[in-house]
Formats: sequence, C-alpha cells, structure tokens
Amino acid sequence: MMKNKISALMDGELFTDEANHIIAQLKSQSSAQQDWQIYHLIGDVLRQPEVITADVSKVVHERLQFEPLVVAPQRSMTEKARNIALSAAASLMAVVAVSWMAMQATPNKSPQLALQTSPLSRASFVLEPQVNAYLAAHQELSPSSDVQGGSAFIRTTIYSATEDVAP
Amino acid sequence: MADREVDQQLVERVQRGDKHAFDLLVTKYQRKLGRLISRFVRDPGDAQDVTQDSFIKAYRAMSGFRGESAFYTWLYRIGINTAKNHLLQNKRRPPTSTYFDAEDSESFEDASLLQEVSTPENELMSKQVVEVVQTSLQQLPEDLRSALTLREIEGLSYEEIASVMNCPVGTVRSRIFRAREAVAENLRPLLETSKDKRW
Repeated sequence: MMKNKISALMDGELFTDEANHIIAQLKSQSSAQQDWQIYHLIGDVLRQPEVITADVSKVVHERLQFEPLVVAPQRSMTEKARNIALSAAASLMAVVAVSWMAMQATPNKSPQLALQTSPLSRASFVLEPQVNAYLAAHQELSPSSDVQGGSAFIRTTIYSATEDVAP
Repeated sequence: MADREVDQQLVERVQRGDKHAFDLLVTKYQRKLGRLISRFVRDPGDAQDVTQDSFIKAYRAMSGFRGESAFYTWLYRIGINTAKNHLLQNKRRPPTSTYFDAEDSESFEDASLLQEVSTPENELMSKQVVEVVQTSLQQLPEDLRSALTLREIEGLSYEEIASVMNCPVGTVRSRIFRAREAVAENLRPLLETSKDKRW
C-alpha cells in the first residue's frame, strides 16, 4: 500500500493530505526512501538510457549535515487575505472617486449654477424683495436640487451679492 | 496534487527546516541535473562535483525561493550558472555553439555522452542497470508495460492514460505501480551488489 502511494506521489497523483502523509513517511522509513529512489532510477533509465549519471544523493546528504537549517518566513493565509482585502478596498475607492469626479464635471448638472454663470439670466431676473424669502423657503422642494437644503443658501447668497456689489 | 505541487510541498518543508525533504528533491532531480551539467562540464568527475555543488547552492538559496517558477527550472538555472562558473575558474570557455535553455533540459539527448559521463569502472554497471530495466519492461504484461511507458516516456497524466487505455484512473494507478515494482524487483539484487552503491 505504501509503495503504491509512493508511486502515485512521484507522478503527482495524490491528494494534498495524502501526499503530506506519504512525505512524512518517507522521512522516517528507509525502505520507503529506497523505493522512492529506485522508482526514480527506473524512470530516468526509461527516459534516457544513454546517459545514466552517478548517484550523488548520499554525498549531498552528507554535505547538508554541515549546512545551517534553512528557515524562510512563511506567507500566511491571513497575509494573503489581507492583501486581497486591501486590493479590493483600493479598487472600490478608485471607482467611487472616479464616479464622484465624473458627476462633478458634468455640465448643466445644476440649473442653479447655470443661472449663476449666465449674465442674461441674471439680468432678466427682476424679483421683488419678498420673492427672495419665498424662494429660500421653498428651495428644498425643487426637484432639480442636487443637494437638498444647501443649495437654498447658495442661491440666496449669490442673489444677495448681486444686490450688494461693491463699487 | 500535480507534480509541481509535490515539489512545492517539499520546498516548503525545506523552508521550515526539514533537510530530509531536500534529500527527496535531490533523489528526484539528480540525474536530470547531472545530464544537464555534463553538457557543460565534460569531465565526469568534475560534472559530479558541480552537480553536488549546485544542490548545495540551491539549498542555501532555498529561503529566497518563492515558488514563482517551477522548482526544477530554478534548480536547472543554478546548475547552469554553477557549471559556467566552474569552467571560468578553470579558464575554459563554456560551450556557446548552441544556446541551452533550462526549460528544454529534460528533452536533452546525446548518446555520445555515455563514454564522457561514465568512468570505465562503472560503465559495466550502467549497462547492466539499463539492460535489467529494459528486459524487465519487455517481460511485463502488455497493459502494465503500456501504462508505465505512457507515464514515464510520454509523460501522460493518469487521466490521459485512462483515456488512452479505456480504463478507470484507479486501474492506471495500480498498473503503473505494479509495473514499477516488477522492474524494481529485478533491479534490487543488482543494486545491492554494487560496491559503492552509486545508484
């Protein structure tokens, strides 16, 4: 059974948990290590019978004993998840910012602004003083208002400015 | 788990301090890397030394391997660089007549290298190993031989072999294992009698 799984492992045909189990077994069982080695030799001979190089695994193993342990920082799943979340948040912020800028840049978006910038419109306005108070009181009901409430004060201020232009 | 993923599992174990996992990678790739290096370093003894050095360098650099390329590609690149450095240190020019890419190294075939790689002492042993493997393969039942050949020589996955042989994947797995074990049974006595057990 063990040999069967070693054979499948070297072909990359085991599920992850099974593979991890067999790799752990290979660490502790010398007979399993020999099977791993001989199965690879068979594959190498079948693929390249003309060139069979010598086994250097034993020498490398001995030399490795003098090497310090390799310990690399592991990339945890939480780190990966955090990176994904940050990327998603950045994308969302970008979409919101671009949408907001597009809305701001749209011409004639606000009829009130059009009125402010048009001298003809301003000149054609002939309003009684009490009308100003009426407009201020009812501005929030206007369907064209983008910012309910706030635009009332904008209009009023501008209108007042036209009345109180400094010489 | 695909073959590359098995390598990645082994690499991650090495990166957690498991030296034994590196032994498994050495066993798996030593002959492929040896063949590659022997194309640069013609002296068989030197080629073996360079192969060993390449593995040690790979081990030392393992903490920086992030799995963005396949392990064998990374290993072969280290092997090529180590071989070229070896030639430079010995004031020999590396072969430049043909460009050699690490990705293509597994398809490398050069029968003329037999005499260059093998020493007189082990040439006989090498021939015997090849003979036993090939004879054993021929003696296998047809379904086992086909399954092992399709896997080892053609490089097909179990699923692809199952499609070719019109049988379940589980049967393919069993056939390949039985074929390997039958060949190994004939090979073990020969390897055990080897003086230096270089196989």
